[in-house]
Amino acid sequence: MTRYAMVMDTRRCIGCHSCTVACRTWNELPTDMIYNPVLTDGPVGVYPNVHMNHMPLICMHCDNPACVGACPTGASQQDADGIVWVEDAKCIGCKACIQSCPYNARHMNHELGVAAKCNFCKDRVREGKEPHCVKTCHQRARIFGDLDDPNSDVSRLVNSLATVRLLEELDTDPQVYYIIGLGGQG
Amino acid sequence: MREKHFWAWPIASYLFLGGLGGGMTILATVFDLFFNKGDVFALALLVAAACVGLGCFFLIFELGRPLQFWRVFSAQKAILTFGAWMLLILIGVNAVNFSFFTGWFPWSGMAGLQQVVAGIDLVLATGVVLYTGIMLSSLKARPFWNTPALPVLFTVSGLSTGAAADSLLAGIWPFAGTAEEVASVHEALHTLDIVLVVFELIVILLYVIMMYTSSNPTAKRAASRWLSGSFSASFWGGLVFVGLVLPLGLYALGGAAAGLLAPVLAIIGGIFLRFLVVYSDDRRLFTGEECYWERLPKGDEAFMEAWE
Repeated sequence: MTRYAMVMDTRRCIGCHSCTVACRTWNELPTDMIYNPVLTDGPVGVYPNVHMNHMPLICMHCDNPACVGACPTGASQQDADGIVWVEDAKCIGCKACIQSCPYNARHMNHELGVAAKCNFCKDRVREGKEPHCVKTCHQRARIFGDLDDPNSDVSRLVNSLATVRLLEELDTDPQVYYIIGLGGQG
Repeated sequence: MREKHFWAWPIASYLFLGGLGGGMTILATVFDLFFNKGDVFALALLVAAACVGLGCFFLIFELGRPLQFWRVFSAQKAILTFGAWMLLILIGVNAVNFSFFTGWFPWSGMAGLQQVVAGIDLVLATGVVLYTGIMLSSLKARPFWNTPALPVLFTVSGLSTGAAADSLLAGIWPFAGTAEEVASVHEALHTLDIVLVVFELIVILLYVIMMYTSSNPTAKRAASRWLSGSFSASFWGGLVFVGLVLPLGLYALGGAAAGLLAPVLAIIGGIFLRFLVVYSDDRRLFTGEECYWERLPKGDEAFMEAWE
């Protein structure tokens, strides 16, 4: 089996927003839509020990996605490899999935009148390529791969380092793992 | 840019109309089945169906692609699909139930069949009233909604606005009985509405206090907006005073004018409640998120489009 997942190494992220730009370009998003913002906390600390924490966000491609259960038309769906995506033709734009997502990973595409989201660049991934945000990340802060493959980078990172997942208490079982660096945030 | 509210006034209007129509139908059918007063509430059934229908119109109007609305009936397990079916069937059953009281149709005299239809109507209306609250409270991402107290609040409000609307419509066409019968029904409904409004007052205060003392900072922030922030005028003035306290005072005062005004105010209170709740769709923000969305350039949309 394949289970796609992502690791965010916040120790390496410098907050350059390249992933945001690459995603928007590749997916040809309208100007008001961002699938993967990079949040910045700080500067924190006291000079000279000052630092900033950057936290890239993205759809968590949860194992128990709230959005898929909320969808009244079956447009929101999850494939066997874990990728959660929206079938445009079936979406009526009721926004129930947007309201149900704790990660703000879903957005309204006002040009099409449908809910839209990151789909881990599934067309690229299934050709064996990386998602665009991962490919563009020159700091290698985003690591993508198959969690079920014991030799993949994501699998080795998740199984060897302490990682955290966002809002894990909501029982969505998110599949994006954060390696927390200095100062940390959760 | 981050949208402030994904669901806005059409959804609030729908939740109000759905609760109102459901509450009206529940009380009308209860009076029919258990007190044999069905004919007094015949018009209320039709108006309830119209309210639910108007609510469905708002729901469709709010969609990103309104002409695709029929797809809502296609999922298997979503709460919204379940609710959409119930709304649709309730409108139909209410209309059929009403048709028994007109005398226009061959089946109008069949009292036994009418009782069966009223029973089905009661079950469906209960489902609709519960569902409007359950739909919001099932959303784990919205701490102010994600509590079992929300369906309780919406159910009580649906019943109290339903009792108010029923008392306004009781005894009008096609009812052909005596004025004494209508007066006794009015008295019963007013008593019921007083009890329900008192109960709603208790529930709403408990709800807001519970949210304000919640360990969840997002819920607390939304509740403080109700108690002393930007929603406080609508909450204290609109919902608590105009929608709940004033009707109680008018009911206590008595008289014909008070009997008309109090239900109207109680219904307005129901509108305030749905708007306040729908606009409290706060999501827990991650560290630095608020700042991120604020920093994005604004006002360049026209330039960006021209550039493309």
